[in-house]
Amino acid sequence: MTQGVVTGGWNFVIAAYAITAAILTIYGVTLITRLREERLRASKDPNAE
Amino acid sequence: MNKRLFSAGVALLALAVYFAVLVTIADEYWNLNISLGLPVVARTLIAVFGGLIALVLFLAADDYSDYRQPNVLIAAGIMLFLIGSYFGLFVAPPEQFMGETQRIMYVHVPTAWFALVAMTLAAISAIVFLLGGNYKWDARLEASIEVGVVLAFLLCCQGSIWAKPTWGVWWDWDPRLTTTAVLLFAFIGVLALRRFVEDPLKRAIWSSVATIIAYVDVPIVYFSVKWWNSLHQQQSSPSTVSKPFWIPLRANAFGILLLMTGFIMLRSRIAALRLKNERPPLPVVEVTT
Repeated sequence: MTQGVVTGGWNFVIAAYAITAAILTIYGVTLITRLREERLRASKDPNAE
Repeated sequence: MNKRLFSAGVALLALAVYFAVLVTIADEYWNLNISLGLPVVARTLIAVFGGLIALVLFLAADDYSDYRQPNVLIAAGIMLFLIGSYFGLFVAPPEQFMGETQRIMYVHVPTAWFALVAMTLAAISAIVFLLGGNYKWDARLEASIEVGVVLAFLLCCQGSIWAKPTWGVWWDWDPRLTTTAVLLFAFIGVLALRRFVEDPLKRAIWSSVATIIAYVDVPIVYFSVKWWNSLHQQQSSPSTVSKPFWIPLRANAFGILLLMTGFIMLRSRIAALRLKNERPPLPVVEVTT
């Protein structure tokens, strides 16, 4: 940092975008997986649906 | 799925994206005025309320029967997020004082907005469930809290990454950061509470009440930068942000709005299916010899 101006910082920017993409992607995948499991469970269970 | 409501949501969202993003791109990069004579304030209001009303319409249209609509919203959200990130990383200029690190704002600020919106949806779902007792709203409560927790966790990660080059530390017990951490852990607590209660009715009532109590922190998070002396900067407005910065910020905001909505719709289906799959208690059979 020189005279109140932040210099460089691309590594932090890349880290922020990468963690955003990673967390949203991983959460989306877990949703699809859990939804498949519950649908399968519902189709097997005679008490449900 | 109520197709009319869903279509109305799509139309409203398209209008919001037009005035928030396309008008600014045309003005900034193509020297074209396609604002239809509307001033900046009116366009901003259409963008904000158009987006939020579209979110309400999407959720109101959803009866958990159709699996295509959430996928469509998620795909549109990914597309807008990619466009916004392209502008944020490669087109928008670096900021005068924060340089390149300011590009983190384009993902950090929309994440903050929609973490609070997800918590607000959870609080609304809690109130509606307590008033009507419809388990559809209990499923929506669970979904909104979980998506809100994911966004709040992401928010804290992005904030830490931004804090290091600008403040010199990864974390500071500043009012904004502290109240956000309290919010995250309060809603994780509500999700934990739901895990511990087996009876569906008790679970729904207790978690609704806990959600309303936890929600008290949401306005405190929002106003913390105004009420206390905070390291964190105050909220911006179109008058305090340069035009080239509007495009990535707004495109990402609509992207995360659609992703959040699609995620809540999918997660509501999981909660509703789990409730159906929960077996009723087996009857006690008396054996006599």
